[in-house]
Amino acid sequence: MSGTTETSGTATIDSVPGSAEFAARTHGLRKTYGRTVAVSDVDLAVPHGVVLGMLGPNGSGKTTTIRMLLGLTLPTAGTAELLGHAVPEHVDRALPRVGALVEGPGFHPFLSGRENLLRSAATEPELAGSGLRGAVTAALERVGLAAAAGRKYRAYSLGMKQRLGLASALLVPRELVVLDEPTNGLDPAGTREIRQVIADLHAAGTTVVVSSHLLSEVEATCTHAAVLHKGSLVTQGELTTLLESGGPNLVVAASDDVAGLEALRERGIPARRENGALRVELTEVDSPEVIATLVHAGVGVREARRGRADLEDIFAQLTEETS
Amino acid sequence: MTTTTPTATHRSSAPLGRVLLSELRWVLRRPRNLLALLGLAALPVLIGTVVALTGGPSPGDGPALLASVAGNGLVLPIVTLVMTQSLLLPLVTAMVAADALAGESAHGTLRGLLLAPVGRVRLVWVKATGVLVMTVLSVAVIAVVGVLTGLVIVGSDGLVTLSGTTLPLTGAIGRVALAAGWSMTQMAGIGAIALAVSALTEHPLVVLAVTVGGLIVFGVLGELPALEWLRPFLITTDLYAVADVLRDPIPTGDLITGLWRAGCYVLIGVSATVARMATRDV
Amino acid sequence: MKRRSVALTATAGAAAGLLGLTALTLPAGAAKPDLPAIEPEELVSSAMTARSPEMAGTIRVDNDLGLPALPGVPESSPLSGGSSTLRAWSDGQGRHRLTVPSEGGEKTVVDDGDTVWKWSSTERTVTKYRPDATREHRPATTPAETARHLIAKLRESSEVAVDGTASVAGRDAYELVLTPEPTERTVLREVRIAIGAEKRIPLRVVVETDGARQPALKAGFTKLSLEPQDSELFRFTPPAGAKVTTPEAPERTERARHRVVGAGWDSVLLTRLPQEPQSRQGTDDGPKDPRDLARRIGEPVSGDWGRGWIVTTRSGSALLTADGRLAVGAVPEQVLTGAMGAPR
Repeated sequence: MSGTTETSGTATIDSVPGSAEFAARTHGLRKTYGRTVAVSDVDLAVPHGVVLGMLGPNGSGKTTTIRMLLGLTLPTAGTAELLGHAVPEHVDRALPRVGALVEGPGFHPFLSGRENLLRSAATEPELAGSGLRGAVTAALERVGLAAAAGRKYRAYSLGMKQRLGLASALLVPRELVVLDEPTNGLDPAGTREIRQVIADLHAAGTTVVVSSHLLSEVEATCTHAAVLHKGSLVTQGELTTLLESGGPNLVVAASDDVAGLEALRERGIPARRENGALRVELTEVDSPEVIATLVHAGVGVREARRGRADLEDIFAQLTEETS
Repeated sequence: MTTTTPTATHRSSAPLGRVLLSELRWVLRRPRNLLALLGLAALPVLIGTVVALTGGPSPGDGPALLASVAGNGLVLPIVTLVMTQSLLLPLVTAMVAADALAGESAHGTLRGLLLAPVGRVRLVWVKATGVLVMTVLSVAVIAVVGVLTGLVIVGSDGLVTLSGTTLPLTGAIGRVALAAGWSMTQMAGIGAIALAVSALTEHPLVVLAVTVGGLIVFGVLGELPALEWLRPFLITTDLYAVADVLRDPIPTGDLITGLWRAGCYVLIGVSATVARMATRDV
Repeated sequence: MKRRSVALTATAGAAAGLLGLTALTLPAGAAKPDLPAIEPEELVSSAMTARSPEMAGTIRVDNDLGLPALPGVPESSPLSGGSSTLRAWSDGQGRHRLTVPSEGGEKTVVDDGDTVWKWSSTERTVTKYRPDATREHRPATTPAETARHLIAKLRESSEVAVDGTASVAGRDAYELVLTPEPTERTVLREVRIAIGAEKRIPLRVVVETDGARQPALKAGFTKLSLEPQDSELFRFTPPAGAKVTTPEAPERTERARHRVVGAGWDSVLLTRLPQEPQSRQGTDDGPKDPRDLARRIGEPVSGDWGRGWIVTTRSGSALLTADGRLAVGAVPEQVLTGAMGAPR
């Protein structure tokens, strides 16, 4: 019945196969193109139900890792596992429950958005023939393309194309959704919508892997993060743990940054200037002591707040260590 | 509620019929493919009209086969096949084969198909079917329009064979069907090779260039006396044998050789496509 | 790995396809058969007595006569080197059909026992002959006698031998070899005729010339079926729209102009070209006037017999004089000029 398909978009899937602890996992994954090493020894683990952000600059191996994980590319060495099935040998068993948008949306310009989606839907094993049109309509509505569904794909804007790609990944209720740079080409409103979709998927228990070179995006949407740099996995884990690994610190807006920094350094308190403020590490001292030091030195304190290391710092730190 | 719900079939592949149908719809919805079919349909009408108006080339002038169209309309479909077989039909075939894998790859849609998933070997079968259907349609359009034009414009109530015998209408149509069927196998052979090239590249133009360029090179190689040993390998060697259906009795030798050769080409082409697609990084 | 094994299997499939193509290059050659020994006399005599069987066959003619490239003559023409294929049918009772296919056309000759029909598809013409007037009747001697006579005649100038066996179009055959005696002034080295062991019909003729590895001429069956043939094949009805002509038998008058000088392998045929270029010649996808052609490809020569042009090929020469006399033979140039000057 069509009623079933319309509600299916947010349905939770309970058929977690066998003993699979992770939604996706790789061991020693490696890919070389000739002498170029694209990915080396990546041990990625994506627990069920998380939203994992894959971070790294362009060319860091995010997309290659995702392509190997989905069986699109054969690894040079190492193994991968998707929803408990070995990749690439049995990837076909996992893929019906995996939605993916890899390397941008791919559609035919001479077909309309709806026709393109119908073509994708026809190849979806989980969809019954009678449910194709309903699933397509639901997916189009979900990404806000219902009004433009009849227009030819070639007339779509970059953002609309991206949304159609997302719609194709969400045609069927998925256990795992892999989105490679989903906000590419989207305006701020579009970005917000994607974030909402990811949040909805997360709420429904779907595991999501999002790759991005935009740190703010990962920070805003993810529960977990994995950082890739030059083909290697630098770190991975829960986002909160990662963020705290930078240590507690205090951000002080002072009347005179230079004088303040001097005063703190004289007392042996580690600090640096950042964005017109002072970031002071609270590893050996506490906040009152910092403020007292500054006030004693005749530096006015306009504002002081507990600072959290943002992802950018951690990223800069991590990639510096390895390079 | 019954025990089966439409969304939870838990298969690892969509029903083959549905995927095939979707593929055929895709091939036949493409404006350029439809234009190609329309153009092929116009050819016999054009040739037939010219022959009917001018009375055809005088004996010894122009292609000998064309001269036999005058007043002998059922030769028209076969003449058109002979004329299109060397370049136009292969071009249409290569165009569809180019779209099938290289074009999908260029549009990024090949990833989508593999992620659905459509199994890699199954994908080759689906794509091969799409190319085959378009090839069959191309030849059939020429044959059908050719027969109709022959009957209406040139006018004839039978077929005078090259051997000087006269076949009744049914026999003549049988000969046209035989020529069309044989021509389809040759184009299938070329299409299979084009599909293999299509699996190797992501530039559809490369497929066109390799297929059409290859046929031209084959034609040249076949003319060189020093390379006579190569001739049995070239699909161009017996392409002209399709005109043998106009002889009476039909000399079957070259037609059967051509059939066997086309079969080998199909086997090579499809095998190479499967081999490539099974390991291709997408 | 699964995908690798799929790729491997598929590669094997491609290899099988290549093998299939290679199969097309293999000649259908069979080993030389073992046949009971036979004397040349007996072989020739049995070949002479053999009844023309009911048959359908394809004959391939490989021609390497070494004629100079003729301007205006297409490659496929039997005049220039190359291969051509003929198809022949016979009902064993004097009715025959012969077709000479060309690209996009065909010439068909049907002898229905009464009338000879010649059809040309490119010209859409039918030529009708009544062969009775010119058909020669066989001498009243028995075929065996004729054979003995023929062999005796051949032995004057040649060695006649049976040289092993051959397989032609899948049939066992004896190879009859005629070699000119050393005294013969000919450019031919030998003529081999394969005669079918069963029906004693000639299956292949090979002409070898001096100093060449490839035969100058090789004509033989590539396919032969000795089954009863459809009688429809030996009937001919001119198709609608064809031009039917009935020429007067010209052979009689032409024959009078022919003369043979010399004997055996040295024989030279002397004849005279008609004053008017034959009308048929022009449409025969060749040049219009043989004199023009001779002027273009021949070497000018002269002697006490006059002036002319000589064309020399691997298998013989031809001499055409300015006044239209023609001498042809499988002989070197001097023999030809000598024959031209020979008194009548």
